[in-house]
Amino acid sequence: MQRSKTKSFQDIIFDLQRYWADYGCVIMQPYDTEVGAGTSHHATTLKALGEEHWNAAFVQPCRRPKDGRYADNPNRTQYYYQFQVILKPAPANPQELYLNSLMAIGFDLNAHDIRFVEDDWENPSLGAAGLGWEVWCDGMEITQYTYFQQIGGITCSVVPVEITYGLERITTFMQNVESHFDINWNGKNGKKKLTYGDVLSRFEREFSCYNFDVASIDMLLEHFNDHEKESQKLLAHNLVMPAYEQCVKANHCFNLLDARGVISVTERAEYIARVRTLAKNCCQIWVESL
Amino acid sequence: MQHELLLEIFSEEIPAKLQRKALENAKSTFANILTRYGTIFGDVSSFVSPRRLTVVVNHLSSKTEDMMEEKRGPKITAPQTAIDGFLRSNQKTREDLIERDGYYYLKIHTKGIETKTLIGDIIENFILEMPWPKSMRWYLEDQEILSAFWVRPIRSILCIYNGSSLNEHIKSVDLTTCSYTYGHRFLSTGKLEITDFADYRNQLESNYIMLDFERKKSYIDNEINSMAGAMGLYFTYDEELLDEVSGLVEYPFASIGAIDEKFMKLPQEVLSTSMKTHQKYFTLVYPGSVMAPYYGTITNIPPTKIMCEGLDRVLRARLSDAMFFYNEDLDVTLEAFAQRLSNVVFYDKLGTVAQKVDRMMSIASTREEHRAIALSKADLLTQMVGEFPELQGVIGEIYARCQSESNEVCIAIREHYKPINANDDLPQTVTGARVSFFDKLDTLVGLLGIGVQPTGSKDPFALRRAALSVARLLCDFPKTLLDNESLSWYVETLITAYSDQGIALDQDTLQIVLEFIVDRLKMYMCERLSLDTEVVESVIRSFDSLDFDYKIAMSKARRLQKLTKLEEFQIVKEAYKRTVGIIGENVNELKTGSIDDLRFDDQYMVELQNTIKNQESDQEDFSKIVTTAKAVLSACDNVLINNPSQDIRLRNLKLLNKFLIDARNIIGA
Repeated sequence: MQRSKTKSFQDIIFDLQRYWADYGCVIMQPYDTEVGAGTSHHATTLKALGEEHWNAAFVQPCRRPKDGRYADNPNRTQYYYQFQVILKPAPANPQELYLNSLMAIGFDLNAHDIRFVEDDWENPSLGAAGLGWEVWCDGMEITQYTYFQQIGGITCSVVPVEITYGLERITTFMQNVESHFDINWNGKNGKKKLTYGDVLSRFEREFSCYNFDVASIDMLLEHFNDHEKESQKLLAHNLVMPAYEQCVKANHCFNLLDARGVISVTERAEYIARVRTLAKNCCQIWVESL
Repeated sequence: MQHELLLEIFSEEIPAKLQRKALENAKSTFANILTRYGTIFGDVSSFVSPRRLTVVVNHLSSKTEDMMEEKRGPKITAPQTAIDGFLRSNQKTREDLIERDGYYYLKIHTKGIETKTLIGDIIENFILEMPWPKSMRWYLEDQEILSAFWVRPIRSILCIYNGSSLNEHIKSVDLTTCSYTYGHRFLSTGKLEITDFADYRNQLESNYIMLDFERKKSYIDNEINSMAGAMGLYFTYDEELLDEVSGLVEYPFASIGAIDEKFMKLPQEVLSTSMKTHQKYFTLVYPGSVMAPYYGTITNIPPTKIMCEGLDRVLRARLSDAMFFYNEDLDVTLEAFAQRLSNVVFYDKLGTVAQKVDRMMSIASTREEHRAIALSKADLLTQMVGEFPELQGVIGEIYARCQSESNEVCIAIREHYKPINANDDLPQTVTGARVSFFDKLDTLVGLLGIGVQPTGSKDPFALRRAALSVARLLCDFPKTLLDNESLSWYVETLITAYSDQGIALDQDTLQIVLEFIVDRLKMYMCERLSLDTEVVESVIRSFDSLDFDYKIAMSKARRLQKLTKLEEFQIVKEAYKRTVGIIGENVNELKTGSIDDLRFDDQYMVELQNTIKNQESDQEDFSKIVTTAKAVLSACDNVLINNPSQDIRLRNLKLLNKFLIDARNIIGA
């Protein structure tokens, strides 16, 4: 029997883009600022509000400073890729669409144990909540699947479904490798082969050091305050999207400060509340302007 | 089948933890609605699996009951036009009017209607009324509105009545009921046409849906046990995990996987908690409870080689994370973690956890207590507890052992959370029990002292649970935990400690705290120990203040409970009641002087006096008070107690009062 060619990391991304493009999604590009999840992309957060129908898909690199493990952990990193799909309104068969997309990237649904395990999602910084599951593949979470109920404290009048694939995790299953860093990125063999580790392990190590050990605390504190002020100022000008971007940037500063271990439990709640206020105000004005 | 209604709400995956409760709720909600619609039915049963909630009703008659109701009309004095209108609208004549209490009434007879015509409404109501702890709405595209609330989106509704399917449009979810359902998501294909419940059950079983939740659980239990047994291993029964795992599969397939040896040096609690909370794997042990490097797990489709590799791999990733936390934590001493507690708020107006620790110190006495308290909360700041909050205390003990604290201190760190709820065991050691008592009492004093009180079912700070734990510790711990001080002393010392920290509490804090704990004590005695409310109330009333010895109260109540079951108790009770009826309770002026010197002429009173005198020799003997009670009853029956002569009357009352005092002493209430 002929062994099928290993599907590369990039091929999986191409296939997902093709699949969702065929479904009718607009294929966007990543948000060009640091975010903790694809949800923070304005194509999700802001577009989830209001009556307008909206189907989009895109890759989003995510930064979670605290999750850094100096490239030592097989599947936990401070930087990774999500494939984000947002369908608004959620159609009547989103689970089938999702399972078909796994088949479209070459996943064998008879060889793996796929399950939908309750995981009600909440993002306190965005004032967002929804009901859904994490999708398990052989006990590992490979996708987050959520019916949004609320964004920025505002009830969704047209409930969207958000499907967020963990690209590295899915690829480890497809390629049957132990660690993210062993993933074959470009699908080549021999000298031309590039692994995820080749591409990103130095990035991961250096950023783990930066996040945990070196990032300048005073500078980040100042940046947080600046971004907060800027966001408020922009909102006063009704510039929602730039204001929202400043809110996202403030949030990243907070995440870095948190990783540096300088935020106490009380302060933590306070910072989250400050970011949430920015996010809520953005969402509020966004909805009013639709 | 004749008169059988089968309804299946087919949805996306119902959270595992909600399924068992949904079974009960579906049954009672549906039965309520059926009753409300006046239908006549036999049993309602319910079934649940990840993607469906099913209700079956048998003997549902094809017509609803004829109903007779009385309808109130206008007053008798109302103008004729109003009365005529009442008659007209009910299609009745003057002869049908019934007069009562100044109103006219009509007997309205409603004919039963076809049950079949109600089923659409019944389903609609069921969807609206079925309670879910958390539910959602989805968008109904054709109607451009949001759906009714359900736990997850509903995708189809199967409805068969009397052997044929119904096509009812259910507006709130914009679906029409149908004759088919679906089997297992991956092991079955296409629609299954259903004729009745027996057929439904059979077809589901052969399409890999195990419909009976309890059967699925015991099947999993057996499978894991026999696979583990074949390797000489045991599986420690875990009801909660079995429930959850059952709710996660439509059909269970068991397998055994391996834990990489290098992780076996992690503490067992960490290993098993990580496997349970994250992966829902079962811990397997060697004989003697030592953990084996294997786990049991359940999948939704038959395990393949690649799947098992994946299951092992995900565990390696999880445990390497746990290992990272463990190693990072052990680089820091518990003292250093404890220092950081000054950054952790205990409660908004009550300072930090470090301050709580200081206050607990103020009521501690031994060196071990002080040490255990100092380290008791340190593990809250470890990464391990951050990851597994349920391991608080357990991790503290493990890390304390790593830094060679005394055995007593290590155990107390773990035990000071116990009992965490009404069903949990008490601590085993005195130090553990005392520190637990201090911790809970400090919480009660602080929160009650600033006016945070639970209301109705809302008790966000679990104050009732804390007070119940205090009551249980003081009642049931084999030794006294109060160390020669009163409970008030502990409360007052804590109040002072709060005030030394600049935290002002309500002036009545002592009283509020004592009342709050006694309330829980009462509940504990009544509900958990099945003592009668009357018994508990009267024992507690017998103490002068709310600060009494709970152990004594407990033994008094137990004794009284036994006495109340004796037939003679009724005699004492009767005599007591009648006496109180005559003279009232606790009349102080009647207590003066001995009764021996009183002189009586009446034979009944003389007899009563002698009986009481005899009785004084033995305070513990219940049969004596019974004899006295009989004498009291004869006296009451035959003597004019309230004699016109003031002297005689006073003597009579004094004697009866003596009986009251003795009776109270003997029965301990």
